[in-house]
Amino acid sequence: MPIEINWQLLMPELVIVLTLLIVLVFDLFDSISKAILGWMTIVGAGIALWVSIQMHQAGTVGTQFNDMFKVDNFSLFFNIIFLVSTILVALISMSYLSRDDRKQGPYYLLILLATLGMMLMAAGNELIIVFLGLELMSLSLYVLAGYFRDNPASSEAGMKYLLLGAFASAFFLYGIALIYGGAGTTNVPAIAEAITAPNKSPLLLAGMFLLIVGFGFKVAIVPFHQWAPDVYEGAPTTIAAFISAGPKAAGFAAFLRIFMEALPSLQVEWSSVVIVLAMLTMTVGNVIAIAQTSIKRMLAYSSIAHAGYVLIGLAAANNDGISSAMLYLLVYCVMNIGAFGAVILAKTEDGESLMISDYAGLGLRKPLLAMFMTIMLLSLAGFPPTAGFVGKFYVFKSAVQAGHIWLVIVGAINTAISAFYYLRVVVTMYMREPEEELNFTAYPSTLVVGLVLAAIGVLLIGILPSLMLTPAQNSVF
Amino acid sequence: MLLSTVIFLPLLGVIAIALLRGLGASAVKGIALVIGLLTFIVSLGLYTGFDATTATFQNVTQQAWIPGLGTSYHIGIDGISLWLVLLTTFLTPLCILAAWNSIEKGLSGFMMSLLALETGMLGVFCALDLFLFFVFWESMLIPMYFLIGIWGGERRIYATVKFVLYTMAGSALMLVGILALYFQNDNSFDLTTLSGPFEHSHLLFLAFFIAFAIKVPLFPFHTWLPDAHVEAPTAGSVILAGVLLKMGTYGIIRFCLPLFPDAAAEFTPLIVPLAVIGIIYGALVAMVQPDLKKLVAYSSVSHLGFVVLGLFSKNPAGIQGSVLQMINHGLSTGALFLLVGMIYERRHSRMIVDFGGLAKRMPIFATIFMVVTLSSIGLPGLNGFVGEYMILLGSFVQGAFSKIYVVLATAGVILAAVYMLWMFQRVMFGTLDKTNEALPDLNAREIVVMLPILLFIVWIGVYPKPFLNKMEKSVGLVVTQVQTESAIGRAGERIQQDTELALHGTQRVQREKIEKEAQQ
Repeated sequence: MPIEINWQLLMPELVIVLTLLIVLVFDLFDSISKAILGWMTIVGAGIALWVSIQMHQAGTVGTQFNDMFKVDNFSLFFNIIFLVSTILVALISMSYLSRDDRKQGPYYLLILLATLGMMLMAAGNELIIVFLGLELMSLSLYVLAGYFRDNPASSEAGMKYLLLGAFASAFFLYGIALIYGGAGTTNVPAIAEAITAPNKSPLLLAGMFLLIVGFGFKVAIVPFHQWAPDVYEGAPTTIAAFISAGPKAAGFAAFLRIFMEALPSLQVEWSSVVIVLAMLTMTVGNVIAIAQTSIKRMLAYSSIAHAGYVLIGLAAANNDGISSAMLYLLVYCVMNIGAFGAVILAKTEDGESLMISDYAGLGLRKPLLAMFMTIMLLSLAGFPPTAGFVGKFYVFKSAVQAGHIWLVIVGAINTAISAFYYLRVVVTMYMREPEEELNFTAYPSTLVVGLVLAAIGVLLIGILPSLMLTPAQNSVF
Repeated sequence: MLLSTVIFLPLLGVIAIALLRGLGASAVKGIALVIGLLTFIVSLGLYTGFDATTATFQNVTQQAWIPGLGTSYHIGIDGISLWLVLLTTFLTPLCILAAWNSIEKGLSGFMMSLLALETGMLGVFCALDLFLFFVFWESMLIPMYFLIGIWGGERRIYATVKFVLYTMAGSALMLVGILALYFQNDNSFDLTTLSGPFEHSHLLFLAFFIAFAIKVPLFPFHTWLPDAHVEAPTAGSVILAGVLLKMGTYGIIRFCLPLFPDAAAEFTPLIVPLAVIGIIYGALVAMVQPDLKKLVAYSSVSHLGFVVLGLFSKNPAGIQGSVLQMINHGLSTGALFLLVGMIYERRHSRMIVDFGGLAKRMPIFATIFMVVTLSSIGLPGLNGFVGEYMILLGSFVQGAFSKIYVVLATAGVILAAVYMLWMFQRVMFGTLDKTNEALPDLNAREIVVMLPILLFIVWIGVYPKPFLNKMEKSVGLVVTQVQTESAIGRAGERIQQDTELALHGTQRVQREKIEKEAQQ
């Protein structure tokens, strides 16, 4: 039987592949200004984004390659998250790379490859495809984390990420194997059918727990989070922004699809584990973030805590839970990249300002920078009228609906805890006098464009949440 | 539409200042003042158009906002929120005027924060949707945070972080409460469709009450208040004392009492002692303060104790007294903070020992200070008396809590006289220190700031009827809501009788006032 390929279904992925090839080819010619590669990445991702949005609005559904690859509103919504992240990261990367005179070709190539991997993960209807996507994404990220070869911290971050990531992949693969042993298939809907019977074989349970461990590593859930702060701190700041956004969303995309679609009959088992993990992740992330003096490490722990809020949506395990997790991931990606972008903007002549104390007095001397940073931090802290508030509110709401009041109470208290360290940066910027005069360099225009887009997104979703909320609600499988 | 204009006009001012800040300091101040006054004038339309014969919400606007979350933009006012809206729009321009010359850095930011704060506060008082309420409740924190943190005194950072964290800790639980209510209200955040009895009403009551108690602040949640008040700039202190604290008591009237009457009845024996402790403790601590501003701050703890006491008397006299006392406290404590700010600008000290004999040097200041002091004490003929009297009357006849508490609270009135008059004596009389000889009296701008407040202090004191009239129906509705359920099987008839007695009491007070008026 010949396989019929519906090219239209694969459009977003194909656009990314095409962009990838163009970037690869253009990188070969030395005569071309490398700055154009960044713009190609943005244009390519932009077209893919536009196509994804069109397909999402049309409600396209379909499977490809023997039911291995499933395009539906769920995967398309995640495509939107990934592509928005990629565009924003490309915008904040351009000046960052050129000011240190780095090679640009492989950088954008790897970012596009990672994006492709993420899209595969979100559309994977088959555990093997999810694994392939995961590996494609992770391998690109390992290289990106260690991209500044001459910088020991960057190399260390790359190495650490590779070793721990490889472990996580092994766990994940082993989990897939055990689930195959228990269910006799690796196809997501088929697994669900195979385990409707009340026989919950130990193989399945063991496989499920291994999958949780594997995902836990990839999305940095406590107690599998140890790699995150070191990698974020050592990796180039733009890559820290990238790792904290898209790949985390991709991990959750696969997490949501596999657990909600393949393992719904094991929900009793996994939801209690997820609840405990969510509580742990939020609390540990937020409490440790309080003690940080480096802004990148602080954002690393904050991003761990945010994974905990997303887990609340998964723990709720209802329709609102899924769409709230999706909305939260979108909002989180935008505001987190925005926050890292503001860190890049705060560049002095001696290098980046990475200590929170370096930000003293910025409120009056660099009002634009301080304003961007404040908007992002207020959103991360979940103050209205920003997107962060809407995201959190929706996640909490779905969990209350599912009856997990205690989980929500822990989440709400964590919000108050997190306000402390986010506001401390604001305090430093607006209310403290600088100890030494730092000379900040001029703002690169592409970076400012990226930040303006992120700020508009954060405020727009905050004031008119329906713009993204309705699509998210229409995207549940 | 009118109400939306009132709420968002200040926000328009924020945008205008952000765009026109390049025009210089006087333009920024001018825009802020014009917007502040305009908001007040527009808000007067709410008063004139208010129908006092009904307890339903008026000036209602309802529009779909986030259908996916079940929330709508639903606002409206009743006889209780009307007064708080007017208080807010009244005090804000005065604060702008009071801060005219005292802000040295970031003037445009200061004015923007002040106006943004006004929008937040007005929103809290007008929101009829729980989600909207929470949005305003939380977003109002940001401008206040900047006001204290940037333009405050020496320990401003400590004070502002403490203020924000206390409030956020409280509102975190309230958020959970709001969500739990949503699912018991047919998946809607609409306040007007909420009606009990609710499941877990005790926990829900506590979730809301603790958030409000922190804001009020009720003893023992008050420790953020002296820090925030003392460190805030004058305008910040005025808004904080005048309006922000009322958000807590307003929340109690709007949510805790009518929604969870059962729980309210059960927790009354716990809350009333706390209110009385607040009255006495606040007064005692105020007495020993060497710092003028701290003294006024602790007096707030004491005054707000009265308000909470009146609310939990759950009868018309007590609750009307409480609402009136919210306005009174906003006026007199606001005025006290303004006066302290004026003397601080001249002398750069707030220590009582640094002053003495000021009455000779600054007669206008001393006169105004005297009137405000007496109003704060509760001298008959000034506003403080009417509110406190009604609260004590309502509490005394209510019967659900021991009359001992009312007697103790009355002692608080005496203590108030002690600390206020003693302070006044030390500051105004005695020998004039050499360093204070050159202090100039109030200038025209400062007199303009104070006069409107004095007008209302006397007006409410002499003729409170128009104020009580407008709130009567709305308070009556709250009373019936809070009593419908607590009356069942809980000494209901007795409360009923007491309520009627208290009602008569109120009417008698009003009648006496009118007669006194007539005689004059």
